[in-house]
Amino acid sequence: MSELDYVGKRILRKDGPDKVTGKAIYTVDLQLKRQLVGKILRSPHAHARILDIDTSLALEVPGVKAVITGKDTLGIKHGFVETPRYPADQYPLAMDKVRFIGEEVAAVAATDVYAADKALGLIKVTYEPLPAVFDPEEAMIPGAPEIHPSHPKVKEDQVNIGGKTTSGWGDVEAGFQEADYVREDRFESHLRTHGFLEPHATVASYEPDGKLNVWTSSMGPFIKRAKLARTLGLPQSSVRVRKAYVGGAFGGKIDLYSHEFCAALLSMKTSRPVEIIATREEVFTAYRHGQPMIITVKTGVKKDGTIVAQEFKTLNNSGGYRGSGVVVIFLVWGFAMVPYRIPNMKYDGYSVYTNNPIRSPQRGHGAPQMRFAVESQLDMIAAELGISPIDIRLKNARVSGEKLPNGDNVHNCGLKDCILDIAKHTDFKEKIESRRTEKKGRYQKGIGIGVSAYFGGSLIYPNSSSVIVKMNDDGSVSLLTGSLDIGQGAETILCQIVAEELKLPMEEIRVVAADTETTPVDIGVWISGNAYVTGNAAREAAGDVRLKLMTIAAKELNVDIEELAFRDKRIYIAGQPERSLSYEELVALSIQKHRGDPVIGNGHWRTMRDQPTHPSLATTKGRWTENYAFDAQTAEVEVDTETGNIKLLRAVTAHDCGFPINPLLVEGQIDGQVSMALGHAFMEEIMMEEGRTLNPSWLDYRMPSIYNIADSEHIDVITERYQVGKPYRTKEVGEGYVSAILAAIANAIYDAIGVRLFSTPFTPEKILKGLKKIK
Amino acid sequence: MTTAQRKRIIELTVNEETYELAIECQEILLDVLRNNLGLTGTKEGCGTGECGSCTVLLEGEPILACLMLAVECENKKIETIEGQSINGDLTPVQEAFLEKGGVQCGFCTPGMVMASTDLLKRNPDPSKEDIMESLGGHLCRCTGYNKIMESVQHAVKLNRDNT
Repeated sequence: MSELDYVGKRILRKDGPDKVTGKAIYTVDLQLKRQLVGKILRSPHAHARILDIDTSLALEVPGVKAVITGKDTLGIKHGFVETPRYPADQYPLAMDKVRFIGEEVAAVAATDVYAADKALGLIKVTYEPLPAVFDPEEAMIPGAPEIHPSHPKVKEDQVNIGGKTTSGWGDVEAGFQEADYVREDRFESHLRTHGFLEPHATVASYEPDGKLNVWTSSMGPFIKRAKLARTLGLPQSSVRVRKAYVGGAFGGKIDLYSHEFCAALLSMKTSRPVEIIATREEVFTAYRHGQPMIITVKTGVKKDGTIVAQEFKTLNNSGGYRGSGVVVIFLVWGFAMVPYRIPNMKYDGYSVYTNNPIRSPQRGHGAPQMRFAVESQLDMIAAELGISPIDIRLKNARVSGEKLPNGDNVHNCGLKDCILDIAKHTDFKEKIESRRTEKKGRYQKGIGIGVSAYFGGSLIYPNSSSVIVKMNDDGSVSLLTGSLDIGQGAETILCQIVAEELKLPMEEIRVVAADTETTPVDIGVWISGNAYVTGNAAREAAGDVRLKLMTIAAKELNVDIEELAFRDKRIYIAGQPERSLSYEELVALSIQKHRGDPVIGNGHWRTMRDQPTHPSLATTKGRWTENYAFDAQTAEVEVDTETGNIKLLRAVTAHDCGFPINPLLVEGQIDGQVSMALGHAFMEEIMMEEGRTLNPSWLDYRMPSIYNIADSEHIDVITERYQVGKPYRTKEVGEGYVSAILAAIANAIYDAIGVRLFSTPFTPEKILKGLKKIK
Repeated sequence: MTTAQRKRIIELTVNEETYELAIECQEILLDVLRNNLGLTGTKEGCGTGECGSCTVLLEGEPILACLMLAVECENKKIETIEGQSINGDLTPVQEAFLEKGGVQCGFCTPGMVMASTDLLKRNPDPSKEDIMESLGGHLCRCTGYNKIMESVQHAVKLNRDNT
């Protein structure tokens, strides 16, 4: 096949010019005619029964156009997961009870923010406070306040169990018997927020013809449409979720949020557009953050470091509703299972209701927590056995062609190369050796490694990505995709693929994206499948167009299709470029000679074609994906042994993402993830006391600034190549690289000062405490 | 607060255009730019002066428009992101952010571009530390700042090549 002109190139973002000039319109920028401001009244109680809501005074405030409470809704529950085992558990506006501080109780639409705020203050809610519980382990003890007392499906002796995942294979007890060395450790992670710059925002406009137009800062319009339609009692066809630019998401904008429902319902009540924008304080206090977990790992190994058995118990704190709690306890099983061979495994994951705000996916969705645990323990085991951190990882790393215990195929796996390349690139072994002998002085340096793997494009609603490529009369192309660019460059890489398949300059491709009315369905940009699933759909759609154009050209030029080549919007006879037809001419010919066919191509793609649906969240049975990315990351740190402060001096990421469609974007993804992990390790923590957020601002919640820039290097491990006209299996790069680096930092700290940390974040207090223990 | 406030008529000069506006005294510059003038390129990430997304130039100095009352800007010159690329030509700073991958979601970008533009005007050859100082109050969650640093350094080069 001919060389590649677009795929694999450092092509500039399609949306870049709009963004550097301030022309890009985000949801927060929309201003429709007669638009009202919406505001939400939130529960001040962590757990309470709602006895009465009196809105009469609020309705009298001049400028107030509508007030809604649970009674104005259809009372239809929704949930991040809605299955027979895990039925929806949350009302879009509280009905009888509130289960966390910040839960949505009422909403107001008014002509200005002052009127809306005043009205909120005049809504009188009578609560009967109930006992509350915040710690997940306390919440499980019988006798703890039950948050969803009637919850049916999961039978356990304990209480407040929102979900349970059980998995395993082999005989874990026999495995431990057979092992030469066994150890068990407990790791804890903490609460962090996503930190997107654009707050949650929605504009809803209900039209007289019964159409509900919605713009919302999200991670995919189709899931929003489905859930809005259902909770509002509208047919899906009446709800149109449309594109606006998205100012970052990182997992925090997937599920249906109350403000989206309220904006829609308020618009329906008032027949005027309603905008609701969360304040930053609301984002911090009432919206969803990530998933702190408690993970216990017991591992048995042979003397040479071969893992023979591993047993996991995980616990998440899902907050007042399930959120993605029952998903994360499934996912962390996967993040434990993929990178290394584990012949005998037992896994029990519990998702526990507490009276904290709800938890959601967050970049990596459980992987940082699980890799921190496994990779930290693996280093402890290696040290105990006298094996290098590199060798123990090589010993257990999976290779291409392996079958995972769940039946998934590891088609191409560059993990060993990642480990070998990164070790060589960083002089890992030499550094570890030299530091053993020279340990003096206030500042101590250390190096550590971590390994991770991440899935891409697993089956989840709507289970398909479809793309349409339309030829225009002038030979340019329109690309219609339901995918949404949230900063990762989705539109750019889809254009690159279409450009490559049609040998058409990027400028000749116009993108229409993320509109439930005019673009075909898409899995959304929250399951790490855009490059693979939607990308292949784009490739097929462009291929469909190419075949149509070539068929016409072959007939007109009187040759076989195989003799044709194409370049610069022309198809020509290979070796005879003068005998050619332009795309413009071919479209005209198609319209003339094929009963008006204007040349429209469509393509669709889905992972796991032979699977009806996603694997069981309860048992992990069923296949997960055919698309796994692998990586190894190293961290080099310097610890100030007097203050306990740590600097991340250097981070290296060796990644097997298949092949990078756009290296510039891949690097941007990796750097961003390394930075996020740095914040995770050292800076960021949502502090909570009895369900209340104590630091709801960026002054008190410290996110990395440019002063905390991490030296981030990248090593590409290419495991496949792109060929025009052929399906490909490139892998995700959007969230797999927040995890191994966290473990690498923990391991580097140990290498520097001999302090092993079992919980995040790695604060100066923990370092100094650890140092004291050693002395 | 819901009864009509006494409005004041003020003149604001934004991107070399002068507007006569009736505004309430408590209205902040950011809201006036975005809501009254439709200049939504200037973003609000927090509203409390912590993220830098709302940075504009007031009399050539970078300020946070979310912490500035509009009435304080009467008869002063304001520059926003919309005033940067005249006739569609990108400035070297904009060009550099585009070329070096300093843009991902783009929400912090207008503020970053304004602050970088101001820096390079004052200091055509800034050190890494100078760049950190200028952008230290600007949060970006996407890039990790690596490519933003590269972008500003590249803009220095583009400026030099242009002169």
